[in-house]
Amino acid sequence: MRAKRRYIILFLIYKNLQLKYKHSVLGFFWSLLHPFLYLLIFLAIFSAAFPAIENYPLYVLSGLIFWIYFSNATSQLSIVFIKNAHLLKSFNISKLLYPLTELGSELVSFLLGLIPFMILMYFLGLKITINLLYIIPVILLFSIFTFSVGLILGSLNVFLRDVGILWNTINPALFYLSPIAYSFKIVPERFKFIVKYNPLYHFLELVRNVLYSGQSPDPHYVGRCLMITSVAGILAFIIYRKTRNGFISNL
Amino acid sequence: MGKDTVIKLKDVSVSYLQNRKGTHSVKDFILKASFISPFQKHRVLHNIDMEVKRGDSIGILGPNGTGKSTLLRTIAGIIKPDTGTVDVKVIISPLLTLGAGLELELSGYENMKISMALTGNYSKSTRAEMIEKVSDFAELTKEQLKMPVKMYSTGMLARLAFSSVMTAQPELLMIDEVLAVGDRGFQRKCKDRLHEILQNGATLLFISHSPDEVKEICKRGICINEGRKIYDGSSKKAADVYSKLF
Repeated sequence: MRAKRRYIILFLIYKNLQLKYKHSVLGFFWSLLHPFLYLLIFLAIFSAAFPAIENYPLYVLSGLIFWIYFSNATSQLSIVFIKNAHLLKSFNISKLLYPLTELGSELVSFLLGLIPFMILMYFLGLKITINLLYIIPVILLFSIFTFSVGLILGSLNVFLRDVGILWNTINPALFYLSPIAYSFKIVPERFKFIVKYNPLYHFLELVRNVLYSGQSPDPHYVGRCLMITSVAGILAFIIYRKTRNGFISNL
Repeated sequence: MGKDTVIKLKDVSVSYLQNRKGTHSVKDFILKASFISPFQKHRVLHNIDMEVKRGDSIGILGPNGTGKSTLLRTIAGIIKPDTGTVDVKVIISPLLTLGAGLELELSGYENMKISMALTGNYSKSTRAEMIEKVSDFAELTKEQLKMPVKMYSTGMLARLAFSSVMTAQPELLMIDEVLAVGDRGFQRKCKDRLHEILQNGATLLFISHSPDEVKEICKRGICINEGRKIYDGSSKKAADVYSKLF
């Protein structure tokens, strides 16, 4: 039975990737173009505005690729049950496999995209040290957080389609509330709390500890991120458990 | 549970959570101020008792919307009942419903593989052989199988879905009105294959709106109306009960 489950998981991931790039000529390269285009825009517009940030291109890029991963994965996860309605209705496999494989395929795209961007970052001044390996647990933790957020959205979206629409509306706002193109330091004191309550801020700091500063992750942010992920995970689990039996009748 | 019993339903009731106002948006929620309990339970199946023995072939008859598909989904474990117990001792192949399990953007070949993986019929060693068997049975050409299935006709879709499941020897087969869309030749072929599968010891649950088909394929018949089992016995009698409903 385990072998079968492995096939199911692999096939669902394969199916997602196929569907994503099926009818496009450039296929996977589109997913590289997206962050690259943003990077160019930010460099053109903001690099003069934030002269205080040392090595601005690397600063932006390190935050940007993680943001895009989060944004893509959560918006895909928010429709995961709706999109797979026909499969949910005809196969008796764990419903959790659909969001898991959806995240899996997003993670694959993200990791594949990370290769060329790591090369680019090297030319932008990324120091190649043993500390870089810390990015692996950071990606893992960030993925669990992303999955939890996505699962909450996906479960609720089955009952209220507004959740998905709302999320796509909030997404760009969240982008500007996160210190991706700017640094936390320049935020006026009285608005700092807004950014601090944004869970993504803590993850971005963690990412930049490794990819921008070339250090090991700051224990302070590690603690914060572990806490955020646990809360999101537990919340996601509760919401999913409460709603899953109603999926079939509302799809 | 007896030795030969493969499925046993005891006092099974199933409800759907129904959106009371028929809305799917927050705006309507607020406007209609139904925050207290926006969802209402709507009972679909009432206290169903049912026992199926290995090798049974059961036709399920009943008007539209009376819970036939829900019954099969409950047996398949896709829907959890509110009360009662569902015991299933065999491996279930997927429900054969129109268009179910098909990914419209992908090609026929890819859909075949996915369906094989999801039903547990997939293994690297037999893959090529299985694909050949399935395409033979479906009578779809290589060109057709390379097309995305969204370009298929309803009949072709049914052929593809049906063949992916029918080529293997399932232990328990559940068919939900798919036979109706195939052309005569394909229907004949499916019925022959059904008989073969049954002779090899499979159990069949078969939803249909054609009493004649039920009489032809099944020995036993169950009639359902408004979520209640109103008849369980020979397929001939069940067909009569069904015809009298209208």
